[in-house]
Amino acid sequence: MALLDIKDLTVRYTGRGREIEAVRGVNLSLAPGDTLGLAGESGCGKSTLAMSVLRLLPASARIGGEILLDGEDVNTMKWGRLRAVRWTTAAIVFQGAMHALNPVRRVRDQIAEPIVLHADTPPPPAALRRRVDELLAQVELPAEKGESYPHELSGGQKQRVMIAMALACEPRLVIADEPTTALDVIVQAQVLALLSRLVTEQDIGLIMISHDLAVLAATCRRLAVMYEGRLVEEGESAAVIGRPEHPHTAALAAAFPTVGDPEYRYAPATSSELGLPDPPPPPSGEPLLRTEGLRVTFTGRGRSVTTAVAGVDLEVHAGEIVALVGQSGSGKTTLARTVLGLQRPTAGRVVFDGTPLPTGTRGLRAYRRQVQLVLQDPTSALNPRHSVYESVAEGLRIHKMPGDERARVAAALEAAELRPAEEFMPLLPHQLSGGQRQRVVIAGALALEPRLLVADEPVASLDASVRGEILALLLRLRARLGLAALVITHDLGLAWNIADRVAVMYRGELVEVGPVDEVLRSPTHDYTRSLLAALPTLGTPAEH
Amino acid sequence: MTAPSPRALAWRRRGAAFAAGWKQYASQRAGLVGLGLLVLIVLLAVLAPYISDQQGLDVTKATGGRMEPPSGEFPLGTDRVGRSVLLLTLWGARVSLLVGFVATLLSIAIGTIIGILAAHYGRWVSAGLMRVTDFFLVLPSLVLAIALSTVLERGVGTIILAIGLTSWPSAARLVRAQTLTIEARPYIERSKALGGGHLHVIGKHVLPAVLPLVFVNTTLAVGSAIVAESTLSFLGLGDPDPMRPSWGSMLRSAWLDSAVIAGAWWYLLPPGIAIGIVVLAFTMCGRALEAVLNPRLREG
Repeated sequence: MALLDIKDLTVRYTGRGREIEAVRGVNLSLAPGDTLGLAGESGCGKSTLAMSVLRLLPASARIGGEILLDGEDVNTMKWGRLRAVRWTTAAIVFQGAMHALNPVRRVRDQIAEPIVLHADTPPPPAALRRRVDELLAQVELPAEKGESYPHELSGGQKQRVMIAMALACEPRLVIADEPTTALDVIVQAQVLALLSRLVTEQDIGLIMISHDLAVLAATCRRLAVMYEGRLVEEGESAAVIGRPEHPHTAALAAAFPTVGDPEYRYAPATSSELGLPDPPPPPSGEPLLRTEGLRVTFTGRGRSVTTAVAGVDLEVHAGEIVALVGQSGSGKTTLARTVLGLQRPTAGRVVFDGTPLPTGTRGLRAYRRQVQLVLQDPTSALNPRHSVYESVAEGLRIHKMPGDERARVAAALEAAELRPAEEFMPLLPHQLSGGQRQRVVIAGALALEPRLLVADEPVASLDASVRGEILALLLRLRARLGLAALVITHDLGLAWNIADRVAVMYRGELVEVGPVDEVLRSPTHDYTRSLLAALPTLGTPAEH
Repeated sequence: MTAPSPRALAWRRRGAAFAAGWKQYASQRAGLVGLGLLVLIVLLAVLAPYISDQQGLDVTKATGGRMEPPSGEFPLGTDRVGRSVLLLTLWGARVSLLVGFVATLLSIAIGTIIGILAAHYGRWVSAGLMRVTDFFLVLPSLVLAIALSTVLERGVGTIILAIGLTSWPSAARLVRAQTLTIEARPYIERSKALGGGHLHVIGKHVLPAVLPLVFVNTTLAVGSAIVAESTLSFLGLGDPDPMRPSWGSMLRSAWLDSAVIAGAWWYLLPPGIAIGIVVLAFTMCGRALEAVLNPRLREG
């Protein structure tokens, strides 16, 4: 008998006079010990589907169809029975481990919580302790870590704690909702390997949700793709990725490029009729931006000194796209802020177009017309009270740019491919999609006619299909306006997609700099090699 | 046909937002009752010179007897010198409301400026300004107000200054906290990267985001300013001119004239109840506004 059997499930959210159909007639079944990956973009209903298995949906949700967990319908369970089933039969590894853990309790107590809750008689403290130690060992954490508070653990360790929590009551089904989204490639690879090992060892059924097909392919035997609340494709992972039948699956698969495959070089997935420009000739002459021995240190409380950037020499030529790659905490964002003059260097200097970065207010203002910033999350990078027009015109007004403001705004919006510009001007950020918001941020930067764009994880918070469009836009802007870009990312695929050169940053230093083809195909530094090795790839199916 | 200018569009959007806000406000009965009471009281106070005769406040021209109980001629009785208590209460509203509004505006203005500056500049500016704020916060405000009114000339101006200078610290703390959360948003960073200076960031991003909170706080603070005015007047620090009575000074003279012993309840109750009603009305309006302007409260 199947462990989980979902029959014709529909979920509707009602409220404020309108109805949203999040899940529309999904059929799914999972055998014990089987692994299923659930892929789809944000808003496709994949999280709703997962939460409905344990009836964790908000009160406004109307559920139709059947969810059979071990042959028992979750929807008709009494409250007491549902409580017993939650965590003992099926457990969830929640998205964002940093928010799902209680910051004021030791992780040992948090792991023990479900065990105590579900025991008929409270287990003796010694036995409980042994059990938690055992769980910590299973997720490869030393027993002492149990005494830590969540803020003392790294992101990967917190995610391990979450997994230990999910395993506490020996469930037969584990649902992992984007378990690695906020993690680095290397940590992500470790967490994925751990999940796969536990699932095979303990014969647990696993449903893993992600928007990244490569991540799912690395852990799951089967793959299901959701689109607008429906299951559009289901099958063996390798088959689904290798021969996608639904166009949406193909788009998802294409969005995450294979590093090293020439097919994806300078070719982010885009369906725009504007096409992609030819690869540019190699730049020559004086670099546009140069950092010389740049160091940034922070003095914390108790006089402890943290070195974020430890002597970086980096060059960006006119019309060149340089990708700065590294793990979180490697100092790449600090480097970007220093280049923009938002952070003062402790030592060394930034040279732009032959002159050192000014320190005065007036000089910096003039400098910032030339160098513009594109932030990671466009939703928070736009003032929610300002219309598109006002956001784009903000820079023009600051610098009192001559000429017709309206014409300049329209031109910038056109350049960011928001057409027709007139229609977008009066809209507020919440009326736009994520990709459109990022285009508005880019338009705001373009309005000032900069020569260098510093983009901090420009596509990290965007959906797979939008990702390629924004990257293609950057390539087209470079070809048309000769715009140079310093793109900061943890995603090697992005570097492979658009960058000319790549700089690998590790612990505040650049360990390897060179043309993308060379560095990513034949890395010389160990760290670059481990970054490449940690990439989940679509080509190699999971080992079972 | 040319498209409407972005400025006109922005105003149209604000108009629509205001209409939506009003609809939400109107759905709260307490807020409507409070607003109705306030409009009535403010109208009466503003129109006092037209609907009554100020000469009735002149002690030398008082027509009534000494502490007469309510009658047809004097619906709320008379005070010790024979003036109509109804007339006194009506004219008292002018002083009380004036002090309440102006003192609140003063205190909120100081609080908003200090709060925004402290949060925006951070470091030693914040440390310095917040220590000053803490100093005023721990100081018993009544004592400070009494000290100020004894040093300065007695009068409405002094009372306004005394209340304004003692009640701003809580507003400053509130505005600083709100500013800090706004300043942490990435759009502030974007604005700085665009080249925006301090004035631009504060004027375009911080102030508009902080204003709703300031507005709600103002409404709630008027009530306490009116109470503070009454307290100071009751203690004898108010305007000594009998032609400009306030509710606090009415209570003071009622107490000095032993109205309780004389059984003259009509002398004591009207100003006291008036203070209560006005403060309640402001609080009801403030709470309703808070529910409209602070979305976090609405979710709960």
